[in-house]
Amino acid sequence: MSPARTLDVSALPPYEISNRAPLWWGQLLMAVIEGSLFCVLIAMYFYYRISVDVWPPPGVKPLGLTLPTVALIPLILSAGGSYAATEGAKRDDRRLMLAGLTANILLAIVFLVLRFIEWRTFNFTWASDIHGSIVWSILFLHTFDVIADLLMTAILIGIVADGRHGPKQRLGVHVDSVLWYFLVLIWLPFYVVVYWGPRLVGSR
Amino acid sequence: MMPGPQSSLDAAGSAARVTGHLLWLFVIPLAIIFVIVVAIAVVAIFRKHRESGRPAVETERGLTRMVTGASVLTCVILLGLIAVSVSTGKAISDRAMPRNALTIEVTGNQWWWSVRYLNDDASLIVTTANEIHVPVGRPILIRGVSADVIHSFWVPGLIGKRDLIPSRVTTEWFTAEREGNYRGQCAEFCGLQHAHMAMWVVAESPARFQAWMNAQLGDSANPVTPAEQQGQKVFLEHACALCHTIRGTTANGQVAPDLTHLASRLTIAAGTLPNNRGNLAGWITDPQSIKPGNHMATVPLAAEDLHPLLDYLGSLR
Amino acid sequence: MTHPLVTPAGPPRVWDEQQDREALARTWHDPEGFLGWFYATTHQAIGKRYILTAFLFLLAGGVEALLMRIQLARPENHFLGPDRYNQIFTMHGTTMMFLFAVPVMEGMAVYLVPLMLGTRNVAFPRLNAFGYWMYVMGGIFLYANAATGAMPDAGWFAYTPLSGPQYSFGKGVDAWAQMITFTEISALCVAVEIAVTTFRLRAPGMSLNRIPLYCWSMLIQSFMVIFAMPAVMVASTVMLLNDRTIGTHFVNPAEGGDPILYQHVFWFFGHPEVYIIFLPALGFISAIVEANTKREVFGYPALVLSQVATGFIAFGLWVHHMFATGLPQIGEAYFTAASMMIAVTTGIQIFCWLATLWSGKVRMTAAMHFVFGFLFIFVMGGLTGVMLASIPLDLQSHDTYFVVAHFHYVLIGGALFPLFGAFHHWFPKITGRMIGERLGKLSFWLLFIGFNTTFFPMHILGLNGMTRRIYTYPASLGWASGNMIATVGAMIIALGGVVFIVNAIASLRSSVSAAPNPWNAPSLEWSVESPPPDWGFTYQPVVSSRSPLWADPALRTVVTGMRNDRREIMVTGVAEAEPQFRTVLPAASLWPFLAALGISIGFTGSIFAFSWYYVGAFLGALGMIGWFWPRPPKEIEP
Ligand code: HEA
Ligand code: HEA
Ligand code: HEC
Ligand code: CUA
Ligand SMILES: [Cu+2]
Repeated sequence: MSPARTLDVSALPPYEISNRAPLWWGQLLMAVIEGSLFCVLIAMYFYYRISVDVWPPPGVKPLGLTLPTVALIPLILSAGGSYAATEGAKRDDRRLMLAGLTANILLAIVFLVLRFIEWRTFNFTWASDIHGSIVWSILFLHTFDVIADLLMTAILIGIVADGRHGPKQRLGVHVDSVLWYFLVLIWLPFYVVVYWGPRLVGSR
Repeated sequence: MMPGPQSSLDAAGSAARVTGHLLWLFVIPLAIIFVIVVAIAVVAIFRKHRESGRPAVETERGLTRMVTGASVLTCVILLGLIAVSVSTGKAISDRAMPRNALTIEVTGNQWWWSVRYLNDDASLIVTTANEIHVPVGRPILIRGVSADVIHSFWVPGLIGKRDLIPSRVTTEWFTAEREGNYRGQCAEFCGLQHAHMAMWVVAESPARFQAWMNAQLGDSANPVTPAEQQGQKVFLEHACALCHTIRGTTANGQVAPDLTHLASRLTIAAGTLPNNRGNLAGWITDPQSIKPGNHMATVPLAAEDLHPLLDYLGSLR
Repeated sequence: MTHPLVTPAGPPRVWDEQQDREALARTWHDPEGFLGWFYATTHQAIGKRYILTAFLFLLAGGVEALLMRIQLARPENHFLGPDRYNQIFTMHGTTMMFLFAVPVMEGMAVYLVPLMLGTRNVAFPRLNAFGYWMYVMGGIFLYANAATGAMPDAGWFAYTPLSGPQYSFGKGVDAWAQMITFTEISALCVAVEIAVTTFRLRAPGMSLNRIPLYCWSMLIQSFMVIFAMPAVMVASTVMLLNDRTIGTHFVNPAEGGDPILYQHVFWFFGHPEVYIIFLPALGFISAIVEANTKREVFGYPALVLSQVATGFIAFGLWVHHMFATGLPQIGEAYFTAASMMIAVTTGIQIFCWLATLWSGKVRMTAAMHFVFGFLFIFVMGGLTGVMLASIPLDLQSHDTYFVVAHFHYVLIGGALFPLFGAFHHWFPKITGRMIGERLGKLSFWLLFIGFNTTFFPMHILGLNGMTRRIYTYPASLGWASGNMIATVGAMIIALGGVVFIVNAIASLRSSVSAAPNPWNAPSLEWSVESPPPDWGFTYQPVVSSRSPLWADPALRTVVTGMRNDRREIMVTGVAEAEPQFRTVLPAASLWPFLAALGISIGFTGSIFAFSWYYVGAFLGALGMIGWFWPRPPKEIEP
């Protein structure tokens, strides 16, 4: 082969910590996957809801509003931690990264604790009736994802605190935030559906 | 490969007939399309051999025109097909049903059908199994329910499918237009013996239908001969009575076909065997080898009990 | 011919290609040996494994098909009992759909897409390996359960309540439900790979309108996977499996659940699923036709747009599988119209290929035989699909052999024949050996004749009332001769399969090695030697045409300046594919395998107790930590 012309790319940056990185796109698509899963669940919720007159079924205590509403505050604030971490990652500012990630994880834990306290007030399980089944499925899947993301955040904290972070790990911090934004955002419709839905939507 | 008693090609019911016409309205244009597509493809192969490698003469614009034209034509044909399909669909829909329909409730069970002729007057409700009689010329409304899993009611010669779904009621209607016996079969996979869940629909003249109805309305025939009386005793004293009903006796089990007028039916075990003494004997002594997995228990019978029992069952006209 | 991306100034750089290749070989070679096999992350290795594994499942599914055909050959046959027969048709459908058809298409894409796009690997090589391992373990999981007696027997869509806790005992259905999760994770991994690779890793200059049609098909298919697969996970795992194992009530009418909702959710996936299998096949057709007519495929934008439209419309048709459940009239008209309108988007593509064939110079290679087989068989299957979309006709043919005929015509004609064509077409590229053309054509004719002999009579059987999923039938219904013919046809198919396998093995062993571009095809994978080196392109090409190898067979414009001592690839812009920055792919690793193993342990346990999910999550998390843990400087330094 005798190439006649070349496109020399040695001057191009070897990394970019931005929304142009393939990893960011990959994370975005993962969020889309989760999102379509959650959409199916919401559709199911309403399908079940409109096919009966009384919702939640008789004997089920209506879900309280206070705790889940209060829990929104740390959850939304925690996204701020993610944002700070991302900024830190872009500027390679280790302390900002650490502060952001730590704020994120602490606030998220507060959210989870509130959620677990709230669960103890439920007088139904997934095996009680269809309302229990669908509500618990939504709560379980979201909680599972939140915990998974927290684990990832914890590991990133470990790596950054240890000083072993290269551009790749900084990119990791950036996309970790993408997932977190998604989990915060997706919770909002869930919150409306699960807690306000029974109050707002009637039967068919 | 000729149409048999379960063919949709030999239609004798209103719904099946219009659907049969629709079939040809689809098949003919689609077959023509198929032939044209394949012909173009085949000619394309040989064309080039003939031209021995001369570069293509068609201009891209010519091709564009052809492809666009074909696409537009496709749309037009499809719109036509949709129109005839939807109008046929309307004609067989519940809303098009004439008023004086006879309502028959069909319940799917693993793996047999229970049949009830509904009536506002409870004393005129007929219950039977695995065989449906309908008068020619009168609309029949099938009200489908299920006792366990999803089944599907289907009598190709008369009418298309409707699923029988637990916790739901589904409906469909047809009018039998020609006398005859039409075989139907459960069309939705419902487990082990889905293959042996058939039924017969007997379309007969209104007079004969009325006679049949009157006969079915009555309680079972009282045993006359000593053998029949002995047979009834066998039936009632064995487990049979726990599952089956024979009206007019103490047998009123609800989980198996009603046997009140068993002998009037064409087949036993949901169309599996012709109803005759030999088959009945085989069925009662060993139902599991005839229809493996079905829900009828093998009831141990003393050798001398079998023939009286068969006599009795044979008397249930 | 200057390329806008290439800086014209500057002296031509001098480099030593041999030296570069050696360096790249050191960097890109996956570890050797038995253990090394588990480390592999190059897309070629993973792709080949996918294809081979899927073909093994095709054999399994084929053997199951033959068993069914033997049973059905005669009325009242006693070869298989009802329990065995039900298990076997369930395994056949499940194997073919989930363990063969989808994975084989994913595998072909994993192998071909990076080469066609002119990049060195997929965007996430470890995820790619992980996806493969999930697939294999899912297959092993299903068949291992089957071997221990837990064979599913509720059909490939496991309708509730038949598949529910009250009517299906044993672990067979649980195994079926969880197998779907395995294969679905695998398909999702590949979908993300392919989408990001296509968006971000194309060779410089390969703007959107220069992407090979096959890659477009895969891109659209990937998005369909992303939107459809989560629904089946909800159906199989959340609804069915949880109802069976932890007592939820999703499909239990007694507690407000609904068996029909299961059908909606399943077919919301199930209908797109058939196009997920079909779209990649359309891509094969475009590539094979292009190479063998010596002209660009006619109507590139029309093909791309109609595939995009197919992708959208496919999500609005699912109810045509449920016509017999009874629908409101307005819904009926909508779903009929939508189902038929997809014939327009498919028709446009057929017409474009016909125009290409008509105006091109057709070379009848073995691969081209399969293309013509596709046209014949698929079009017939598509037309019967149009018939099924009509509700009155469907009420007569639903759940009969007419439907069985339809979907084998579209699946085998629309996916298997293009796949076999692709196999013959790319065999030289993948193996470095030419494939035997004569045996290839012989196997085509056997498969083609056998196929039509098997499945054409099924149309008539269906119209004559033969329902599907029955293990036997009485002689009195006039179905015997049609079934006997079908069984004979299936034997001819099997013979064609034997010839196909013999040909592949004989060609592998032959000494005729393949040139880089034996068919004189236009796309980039044909510019590298056969088989391609692990790193694909020693110098990434710069693309200035839709058919780069026809525009410039020697590909004289290339990229230089990438580091050879780590797995570097280039990231380019989404629309114009202008170079943006370089990035480093991780090296070979055992961790994807370990993570998949850990998760598989959890999934396997989960059919016995829910708590095994936590075990799986824990082990999977350990695997992921190992997977993402920062490696020594070369990978992380700027
Ligand atoms: C590769 C897979 C594949 C493909 C491509 C298709 C394509 C189509 N399918 Fe099929 N289908 C299946 C796989 C597939 N199907 C499977 C597996 C099942 C059964 C599942 C099960 O129950 O187990 C099924 C079942 C199925 C049903 C349900 C049947 C039932 O259970 O009762 C219906 C009903 O509408 C249907 C319709 C269609 C239509 C309208 C198309 C269209 O996309 C076809 C479009 C193509 C053409 C029409 C031909 C080319 C066009 C032209 C040459 C233009 C000119 C044409 C006209 C003017 C009409 N399919
Ligand atoms: C891609 C998908 C695919 C493919 C390729 C096939 C291939 C075949 N299928 Fe099937 N089929 C389905 C998907 C597929 N099928 C689905 C989804 C169902 C529905 C299941 C359900 O209802 O749940 C179904 C159902 C189904 C039925 C209906 C069962 C019933 O309802 O009772 C039948 C019956 O004849 C059948 C037959 C065949 C035959 C004869 C082949 C042949 O083409 C197979 C030929 C292939 C081989 C034989 C392997 C290759 C051979 C060799 C390499 C030779 C070496 C081997 C030997 C000599 C043994 N299939
Ligand atoms: C455990 C319950 C059970 C018992 C006990 C039982 N049966 Fe049955 N029987 C059934 C069921 C269920 C069917 C329907 C089987 C099928 O077709 O799948 C049936 C079918 C039949 C049929 C065929 C009916 C038809 O119209 O197709 C006859 C006749 C019959 N039983 C007679 C008897 C006699 C006689 C006995 C006692 C010796 C008996 N059964 C005991 C459950 C029972
Ligand atoms: Cu009842 Cu099939
Ligand atoms: Cu479909």
